[in-house]
Amino acid sequence: MTDMSTPLQIKSSREGEDAAVISLVGEVDVANTAQVREAALRLLADGVKRLVVDLSATEYMDSAGLGTLVGLLKRLKESGGTMAIAGPQPRVARLFQITGLNQILTLCVDVATALKEVSA
Amino acid sequence: MTPEGPSLVELRIPRRCEFVRVARKTAGALAHQLNFTIHDVGDIELAVSEACTNAVEHIRDERCAEILLRLLVEPGQLVMEVIDTGPGFDPGKEVEAATGGEGIGGLGLLVIRELMDEMDVRCDAASGTCVRMVKYRREAAEPRPTK
Repeated sequence: MTDMSTPLQIKSSREGEDAAVISLVGEVDVANTAQVREAALRLLADGVKRLVVDLSATEYMDSAGLGTLVGLLKRLKESGGTMAIAGPQPRVARLFQITGLNQILTLCVDVATALKEVSA
Repeated sequence: MTPEGPSLVELRIPRRCEFVRVARKTAGALAHQLNFTIHDVGDIELAVSEACTNAVEHIRDERCAEILLRLLVEPGQLVMEVIDTGPGFDPGKEVEAATGGEGIGGLGLLVIRELMDEMDVRCDAASGTCVRMVKYRREAAEPRPTK
């Protein structure tokens, strides 16, 4: 069958020994949250303790994506790690606000700020 | 859009996660054509997506193979219904789960309540579950350029 997955490109880069940035380019919904989770868990398995999720190019996200982010935060905290969200567009930032997850997740204006936040 | 009376658009999609986007984009395209604001088009897309995701994820009954999206254009508003033939769920418990820190499974309903002007969930053992959402039309200040 033709691939009908919601269009999403997942990029990741290491930032020092135990930090990484994972960038979600496109749309995040129930059809591709498993890919996001798997990509992030691979980083964690590879020793990442400080994770920045770059949402600056995320055009759409719904509660399925939020659930994935909360799950990642939980995994990181269980292993003494930390996570920050970088640069969400207004549409996505509003979703954090509506759900109250802006009180749980650390939201930063850009990747540089988020990297400082997870390193603090 | 002509104001003569209600118009109905119906879309049947397989109850699979890769089709949620199809429902979302269909609702968004109609809302755009109805001259909803960009902001409200985004709300409509998100609400429809959440309702469809809920139908995909919370129904374990394999006999429910389809989701029906009904978009009813009425004067001054767009009515959206996401209907499945699953066994239904308790919307009160879903929202409680979302807000009680026991998981985020009901977050979608919480989001819909926040974004829509009206929302209700009807569960019936015979006919399944219908999430009905209404968004009032607040026309864009300036006509949007067409692509």
